[in-house]
Amino acid sequence: MAESAEPPRAPQWRDALVPELRALSPWLDVPPAADQAATVRQRLEAQQNPQTRQRPQARTRPIARWRTRVLYPRWRAALIAALTILALAVAIPQSRAVIVHVLRLDGVELRQAPGPSPVPHPSLPGQQRMSLEQARQHAAFPILVPATLGQPSAVTVSDRGRVATLIYDRTPYGQVRLDEFDGHLDQVYFEKFVQVGNVTEIKVSGEKGLWVTGPQEVVYVRSDGMIVQASARLTTGSTLIWGTPRVALRLEGGFSKAAALAVAGSVR
Amino acid sequence: MLVAHYTLRAHRAAWLLGAGEDADDVVQEAFVKAFRSLPKFRAGEPFAPWLLSIVANETKNLLRSRHRRDALALRLSALAPGAAAPDIPFDAAVAGERRARLLAAVNELPDRERQALVCRYFLDLSEAETAQVLHWPLGSVKSRTSRALGRLRGLVTPEDQGRVLHG
Repeated sequence: MAESAEPPRAPQWRDALVPELRALSPWLDVPPAADQAATVRQRLEAQQNPQTRQRPQARTRPIARWRTRVLYPRWRAALIAALTILALAVAIPQSRAVIVHVLRLDGVELRQAPGPSPVPHPSLPGQQRMSLEQARQHAAFPILVPATLGQPSAVTVSDRGRVATLIYDRTPYGQVRLDEFDGHLDQVYFEKFVQVGNVTEIKVSGEKGLWVTGPQEVVYVRSDGMIVQASARLTTGSTLIWGTPRVALRLEGGFSKAAALAVAGSVR
Repeated sequence: MLVAHYTLRAHRAAWLLGAGEDADDVVQEAFVKAFRSLPKFRAGEPFAPWLLSIVANETKNLLRSRHRRDALALRLSALAPGAAAPDIPFDAAVAGERRARLLAAVNELPDRERQALVCRYFLDLSEAETAQVLHWPLGSVKSRTSRALGRLRGLVTPEDQGRVLHG
């Protein structure tokens, strides 16, 4: 009797059942997921370089899975994940926004593709040379200075305070360049054009960073997402990319990885 | 880290939509297809539902190729989840029994209705995202979810209904 008095679709019981279903969700038995990044990367690369294509990875063969797990133990998962994104970038040059969404490398986007040709005298838009003190007033964020490199030989602020650049001439590193930009903004400031094998993920003062070896093409990206051709240049050496909560940095020069990390660890 | 995040979500979706032990392979295939068809992906669109729609499609293909009409039954984990509800010990056994009964009821649902509930409440997708992931019209998501909830109510025994109200 009580049952029939109740409306058949009373929101009351439905409102109670839905949270109970949601609460059931974390209790469901779902086994751990295998790390697929390495295999996915291999398959995308095989697609990208048909001349070096090998037997495609078996899709549902236990052996393929077994091999993946043996070759790529868990501790390399993070690195492989980063490399997969680069492989991803290979396949889809036109969907930059997607890569940014996935990657968020402290304002630097990595792409495996031929970059724009370097220009003879590359410069950033609105680039102005000034003293460090002046630069601190003009930049839209607090400028960090690596203590180990001493006084910069030149300081520039570009694009109305969006980027600050410190230049050093330091033996034995050659010309050292430190670009800084707003780290907390989810924007792209630079695009680098790299080979997957040249990129490794490392920890910089406990935070995620990327170490990119060898000269690569790099180009500045304006806040509206447009590439600035006049900024296209070749890097002088290897690059370390990392960020603090407020500032993102890219350090470029003839460094070993250890030397670059030491410089990065000394920024104040 | 984001890829790892997507892998877990994709794998959970494949598993809960019925791929079972093949969930890892489904995820791998879905990632490769997703990356290859990224040019078709509209910038600014959320990535996860788009990826999950490929996962759901791959799972469907898998089930079809196995001539398996029914997805595998969902099970409760033997281990308590990290963010467990604050069950006091006295209630813990009752709560466990209740979860088992509710999940058994979910397993009894027709496939499509179960898929609707999996997407809405176990994968935490909105109605619109569920429609995208399962390639259904929005109206079908609403009606199948509604029908599933109605059936669950019927499967929950009458003396439980007071408890349901307490969630």
